[in-house]
Amino acid sequence: MRTIGAAAGVLLVALSLFPSPAFPVLYIDINSPGGKRMPIAVADFVVGPGDPSLSRRIPKILSDDLALTELFDLVPSTAHMETVTAAHFSGKPLSFPGWKMIGAEAVVIGNVSVRGDRLSVEMRLYDATQGTLMVGKRYSGTPAQLRSIVHRFANEIVFTFTGVRGVFGTEIAFSARSGKSRGKEIYIVGMDGQDLRKMTDNRSFNLFPRWSPDGQWVAYTSYRTGVPNIYLRNVSTGAEKEVVRFGGSKAPGGFSPDGVWLFAGVSVAGNSDIYRVRVVGGTLEKVADGWGLEVSPSPSPDGRRIAFVSDRGGSPQVYVKSIGAAGETRISNGTNYATSPSWSPAGDRIAYTARSGGRFVIMTVAPDGSGSRDVASAPDGDCEDPSFSPDGRSLVYTYRKRGYSSLKIISSDGRRQRTLVSGLVDAGSPAWSPGR
Amino acid sequence: MKGTFSWKWAVIVVSIAALMAAGCAKKQTVKSEGAQGAPGAAAGQAAPGAGAGAAVKESPVPAAAAPAVQPPPAAAPGIAVTEERPSQFDDVRFDFDKSEVKDEGRKTCQVVADFMKKNPKAKLLIEGHCDERGTPEYNMALGERRATAVMTYLVSLGVPKADLSTVSFGKEKPLDPGHNEEAWAKNRRAHFVLK
Repeated sequence: MRTIGAAAGVLLVALSLFPSPAFPVLYIDINSPGGKRMPIAVADFVVGPGDPSLSRRIPKILSDDLALTELFDLVPSTAHMETVTAAHFSGKPLSFPGWKMIGAEAVVIGNVSVRGDRLSVEMRLYDATQGTLMVGKRYSGTPAQLRSIVHRFANEIVFTFTGVRGVFGTEIAFSARSGKSRGKEIYIVGMDGQDLRKMTDNRSFNLFPRWSPDGQWVAYTSYRTGVPNIYLRNVSTGAEKEVVRFGGSKAPGGFSPDGVWLFAGVSVAGNSDIYRVRVVGGTLEKVADGWGLEVSPSPSPDGRRIAFVSDRGGSPQVYVKSIGAAGETRISNGTNYATSPSWSPAGDRIAYTARSGGRFVIMTVAPDGSGSRDVASAPDGDCEDPSFSPDGRSLVYTYRKRGYSSLKIISSDGRRQRTLVSGLVDAGSPAWSPGR
Repeated sequence: MKGTFSWKWAVIVVSIAALMAAGCAKKQTVKSEGAQGAPGAAAGQAAPGAGAGAAVKESPVPAAAAPAVQPPPAAAPGIAVTEERPSQFDDVRFDFDKSEVKDEGRKTCQVVADFMKKNPKAKLLIEGHCDERGTPEYNMALGERRATAVMTYLVSLGVPKADLSTVSFGKEKPLDPGHNEEAWAKNRRAHFVLK
């Protein structure tokens, strides 16, 4: 994976200075449920010029991120004994025995300054036992980027301890009915539930958001002209272009990992098939077809295969096929209704919605159809439309009960769950952005 | 499982390396991620994204990564309100996950076909709809198939295809906002709109 490559790069820099044959890293085993958590303290930040409340606000953002992983135990700030000062950033050592005494095995310190619209943040992670710096970063940007900067360092911390980059700062796009509008708009919300905002505001139906691999574009279907077409929206600049007008109903499914192709289910003469189209423009190429309905293409992380839905066998089921090759394998089993596959960016699992006992539930399965597993279900409602996080460790999905719905996030082993946004109406098609 | 916290070696190695890099036993290195950061600081970083344009990410840290300040949502997600353009024709209803035009629907189609043949200038839009169960994309395609099934039947009754068009709204425009079989049966429909 790319993140591992990045890790190797960082470590190689260190290694080249001090060659060593073997070096076990301070490690949290993310695959061991119920394993020991890392006790960590996030000290109040030193504020240079700037709002003094940042001293507590930044540690709060960082602590909330770390708490979400359930890999850390946060040592409460009321227990902290040492006040961190500017001197600690210019050579003065922290009194690590004191941090150890209150139970912290790792300590995060930081300083922040705001000059006009210039924000500078330095953050350091120390091993309290060894008294050594594990990772330190300086960031600069605008005050509006504070949260995104802090999320980045939270990702560094998670990466340092686990070898897998965190997903803080990633976002989830979804569709839902909005206040007075009779249609549905696309919304975007941070994976921490913050910063909910509208991406579209045209009072028609705006559906099926899908992120480009660079996280800059969202493909979606809009009825703004009265008929459905697929558009690409740049989430930073708002720039937009139409990519698919051909055919009747249409829904983007996902991009190829190189960002060149957009896969979509498109109906022609009432029969939906899977197509792909170049994002820069061009004609549609058919990828999968049949007499049945073929919808919801989800590309594998290597771009060679897609998972998709077909009802060719009499009921909707999930199939996997190699792009450009004949034949496909059915991977959903034991249900008469399986839809909306999402291929994990880690490659090893495909999540989908299954109908079970009159309810809809989330299941995952290996791409060869083996190892099927229940992940999310609710006795009083439906769990639908899963989308994997960029690290493959979590899924976002919709929970629906009598029209009211919420977005929930669950660990991919189904053990830990939280509500991301509640009180939505007819929320659908959540899509988790790529890593940041 | 014991000893997941075996820091020692890497921490020692990395920190010694860091100390050496700093060239001073008292200082420890901090990587700069600011736009003005040394080029070397970004050398070990890789963009978490992929493909064209993804490399933007790490060096000029948040400048490219975070969107500009967004205005707050103009309206919070709210209550479902749908409107149906009234039709002089009945809806054609369907069974769950099906698109066959049943006997009742055939009678409706005959009424529609008679009207269309008497009014050769009329243009008819056939909307395909589904109930709320199941995922949106599949329902979108199913609605299209229902609308097309009705169009095909009307053509078989002698209505010129050029006077007909279809659009699917999937599960997005329920006629009855209820959440029971009675509502679902009304919502699985083809709806006629004279243009």
